[in-house]
Amino acid sequence: MDFLLNALATSFTPVSLVAVVAGTFIGLVFGSIPGLTFTVALALVLPVTFSLESTPAIALLLGTYIGGMTGGSVSAILLGIPGTPSAAATVLDGYQMTRRGKAALALGTAVIVSTVGGLISLLVMIVSVDFVARMALRFGPAEIFALVLFGLSTICGLSEKSLLRGMIAGVIGLMIMTMGLDEIDGVQRLTFGTITLQQGVNLLVAMIALFAVPHIIEAFVQYYRGEEQPVRAADVNVELPRWKDLRENFWLMIRCALMGTGIGAIPGTGGPIAAFLAYAHARRSSKDSIPLGKGSLAGVVAPETANNAVTGGTMIPLLALGIPGDPATAIVLSGLLIHGLVPGPMLFLEHPDTIYSVYIVIILSYIAVLAIQLFGIRLFVQLLRVPAHMLAVAITVMCGFGAFAVRNSVFDVYTMGILGVLAYALMRARIPLTPIILGLVLGPTLEREFRTAYILSEGDPMIYVSSVPAVIFLALAALVFAMPALKMLRKPKNREA
Amino acid sequence: MKTTLFRCLAAASVMAVAAGTSVAKAEDFPTKPVEMTVLFGGTAQTIGQLLADLMSKNLAQPVVPVSRAGGGGSVGYQYVHGMPGDGYNIVWNSNSISTGYHGGKMDFDYKAFKPIAKISVEVPAFAVRADAGWKTLQDMIDDIKGSDKKLRVGASGKGSFTHLTTIALLDAMGIGDKVIHVPYDQGKAPVELLAGRIDAALQWPGQFISHAKAGTINILCVTSAKRVSSLPDTPTCDEAGAKGINITMWRGLAAPADTPDEVIAVLEEAAKKASESEQFVEASKTVGFERDFADHTAFGAEIASDDEKISALMEKLGLKQQ
Repeated sequence: MDFLLNALATSFTPVSLVAVVAGTFIGLVFGSIPGLTFTVALALVLPVTFSLESTPAIALLLGTYIGGMTGGSVSAILLGIPGTPSAAATVLDGYQMTRRGKAALALGTAVIVSTVGGLISLLVMIVSVDFVARMALRFGPAEIFALVLFGLSTICGLSEKSLLRGMIAGVIGLMIMTMGLDEIDGVQRLTFGTITLQQGVNLLVAMIALFAVPHIIEAFVQYYRGEEQPVRAADVNVELPRWKDLRENFWLMIRCALMGTGIGAIPGTGGPIAAFLAYAHARRSSKDSIPLGKGSLAGVVAPETANNAVTGGTMIPLLALGIPGDPATAIVLSGLLIHGLVPGPMLFLEHPDTIYSVYIVIILSYIAVLAIQLFGIRLFVQLLRVPAHMLAVAITVMCGFGAFAVRNSVFDVYTMGILGVLAYALMRARIPLTPIILGLVLGPTLEREFRTAYILSEGDPMIYVSSVPAVIFLALAALVFAMPALKMLRKPKNREA
Repeated sequence: MKTTLFRCLAAASVMAVAAGTSVAKAEDFPTKPVEMTVLFGGTAQTIGQLLADLMSKNLAQPVVPVSRAGGGGSVGYQYVHGMPGDGYNIVWNSNSISTGYHGGKMDFDYKAFKPIAKISVEVPAFAVRADAGWKTLQDMIDDIKGSDKKLRVGASGKGSFTHLTTIALLDAMGIGDKVIHVPYDQGKAPVELLAGRIDAALQWPGQFISHAKAGTINILCVTSAKRVSSLPDTPTCDEAGAKGINITMWRGLAAPADTPDEVIAVLEEAAKKASESEQFVEASKTVGFERDFADHTAFGAEIASDDEKISALMEKLGLKQQ
């Protein structure tokens, strides 16, 4: 109890409170601008934490992380361009809702379910950090491979009309990701002997190219043809979610929060896969009157709950085992180390007050997220008053800047341009773009875990089916891939009957 | 707090605009922010950012750490290599310059850079799971030699520094042919070790210390010639039975080869003060590196001798491309 009081005392100092609010705000801003992510924001605030006490330092870092994860949904919903890879699944229904004039409802729901998701994951972390950490340990390369393959199977749900086109898109994504230096053997792939191409295509740059550039081109094309949709005042109403909306999606929220926490706890997976799996789950289970993909609220609730639940999930291996699950938590880890807090089993024995501070800071930053966002929605939606072609100019600048900022490299700006034009061509060919993102996000993990498992077993393929979780995920993936085929087989029979 | 952040942001934007436009005069160097290219994430980034922050306090202008990761460091090296040698572009380097060059990732070697100062050394540690029952390195060697099972050892990808060190260590122990090398990235080797999917791992001590204290992992040895301050009770690999092992990873600062000596001297002085500061000493203990300052001459000699060592090692392992 002393530790808790101690933690409360250090967390409620003015410096800590300012740090948590400032961090959350910075995270929200970086998260909501396409191209600037919370990983960049964390790298920028890290030097600031060097001169702070440990609790304000943790507050600033975690605030930025949480704010950034939530902020990704803002541009996903308003502009159809995800601010972070974790928000890519939110675009599908969130942007459709904006087109139907329900932007504020989508934004409001996103921030509320994000908070709920984050707090549920925190609760899971508090009551069962040891248990979850031990479960996560059981996920070796073979199990993660199966899980990621299951994640890839959600392509089937994202393919809209043609499964074939979805598959083509997925494979394009996987192919783009093979460029660069192979992680396992250090072999150069598709680099044409240049050093520049060794860095490969950055996920974030590809994401901007796929979501933003076709949008920009489309806006200009419509403007010059005089087909631009005029802005109607009705598009910009501020309708916040009501209890009824949230109550209808309550159990979906709980399931997606648990899913996100679990996936976040497995190192090397993270936000995007959790969001896509949650979205696919919502698609299967939704009883909403509006089908998913057409602007259903459930399509916003599921991925947003899950990606924020990941924040609590990643804290579990970080604090209990000292293992960062993704680049963002790796920066949080640096910040902890500088302050002499070495995560791992001993942290819970030697610095229990720090652990409590982490819990309190997470709660505080969700309160800050709620306050800032719910107030901000009124301002955000005003963006929709701007004519599309003018907005496109602003987005072009931000995307160019964002693509450069990812790795401080002009190469990435060119990559964005080239991939963007390619993406526009694919869009015109009615190839869906979201499965490309899925291939990009999951490709490297899929390959790495597959090959590592193969090396571990000395070439024995039985390793892929040697544990219960692996078999379950492989079976689920097979089922999802088989479903459309079964449906096709059944159709003619229906006609006969 | 706000001012530091503002300074970083301001510096970053100034950099973007002003990079390479003004000609430096050595006597009033620096007149604009110095850009420090950081090649890797993880510990490299943490130490690099702290060093840059502390160096900024000893210079008229801030040192801005800029991450250019990718291609095993080659992307960042290429960037700095292509910049004018005026002291405004420096690289937070390591012996990745040698592993990268000999591995065929770059077409220039350490001679493309002028050393400024060596800052730190990181010493890999070799660890096993506690319930394997191996208390010393010799226990493990005897056990493996006496049975027909192979040892699964986790380290980073092929041709990486920890991979080379692992092979050199196992060769010295005489069990080089009874090993399966399992590549891991993102610091996952300790997890795999705890979960029992691998038998041993060679990684930075920081990843192991908490688990060793908790009694789930035994750290058998460190690969340097002297014991390290964060693990005073852990023997060196040489003491533990792998004779002749002395492999460490240095980190330091370097600039393009045509940078004037006066400018190098200014940066060296700032780096020296930073590395002696209390905050840096503190960080060395918690982040898990050894402070080991060396001036530009000594550093240059060490880079050259280390390059020969790495070249010979890679040649022996058939990983040398050039």
